[in-house]
Amino acid sequence: MFQNRKLELLTVFATIGFVVLFLVVSAQPGHEFSGSDDVGSQMVSQLTGHPVDSFTPLIPQYVPPSGEIEATLFALQAAIGGIVVGWFFGYYGGLRRKKN
Amino acid sequence: MHIMEGFLPWQWAVFWWLIALPFVIMGVIELRSVLRKDREYLPLLAVCGAFIFILSSLKLPSVTGSCSHPTGTGLSLISFGVFITAVTGGIVLLFQALFLAHGGLSTLGANMDSMAIGGPIAGYALYRLLKNTSVNMFLTVFLVSAVADFVTYIITSLQLALAYPAQVGGVMTSFTAFLSIFAVTQIPLSILEGVLLALVFKYIVQLKPEIIERLGVFSREQIAGAQMPRDPVSPVKV
Repeated sequence: MFQNRKLELLTVFATIGFVVLFLVVSAQPGHEFSGSDDVGSQMVSQLTGHPVDSFTPLIPQYVPPSGEIEATLFALQAAIGGIVVGWFFGYYGGLRRKKN
Repeated sequence: MHIMEGFLPWQWAVFWWLIALPFVIMGVIELRSVLRKDREYLPLLAVCGAFIFILSSLKLPSVTGSCSHPTGTGLSLISFGVFITAVTGGIVLLFQALFLAHGGLSTLGANMDSMAIGGPIAGYALYRLLKNTSVNMFLTVFLVSAVADFVTYIITSLQLALAYPAQVGGVMTSFTAFLSIFAVTQIPLSILEGVLLALVFKYIVQLKPEIIERLGVFSREQIAGAQMPRDPVSPVKV
């Protein structure tokens, strides 16, 4: 049974390893876990000597007014993906069962 | 890996857009011809696109103490190739630029070049290299997905370095600086993404081996050889 589930086991181990890594890193002080996009933007400002705020959009864009709203929109993005994946895996599974 | 709106001078924004556009146009053409050939490809295409949606929305913590997200482009590029992935990945990036202020319309070209085109090209090259060897099919998917993810961030670093060379040391110095932010953060994430997409690919092969064979992704023998016998989810008779 277990030899048929190699990939599942590997995924579980990889996930556990990832979580342990996170716990170890987050136990050390000085990590704020901000987005690497923002860290990249700070590096740009450091290299150019212009503050981050001085980079204004070339094309006006919608900015989520708060972290909560941003989180909602990200959850929405993941949910849309999840629904599509679940729907079609179900569809494939149903087709397969009918064929057998 | 998003380059934020306004963080590329307009000359560079236009330059990266010009590189991205032919891929997107080719992708749309290819997409139409693939779907015209067989509507049964549509569900697989939707699943591939959906995984880009899901994975690129997950911002995960990493060893550098900052967060980044996987790209999820591996499935799409293995199943449908580079051009169609430019479209599926481009749609996700457009969504994030319009609603989430992650990346912007002027930097969309550059962001497509890294996530939806450049990373996938590297992954696809590796896939072609491994396809007809004895390397296990799932190992191939793992490596290809991880490489597509990782190279995406190398390209982002390069794009920023070209636009912002350091006063001392020029492009190479700032390339190293951006790599230390993006690439190092991405190592554990790309490994995790590779494992996950290999697992998803296993389920696709279990449920629909014929579609993977018909698309020419892997040969019948490879699919039969990689299948794990008497799997309780769904026994596949080949």
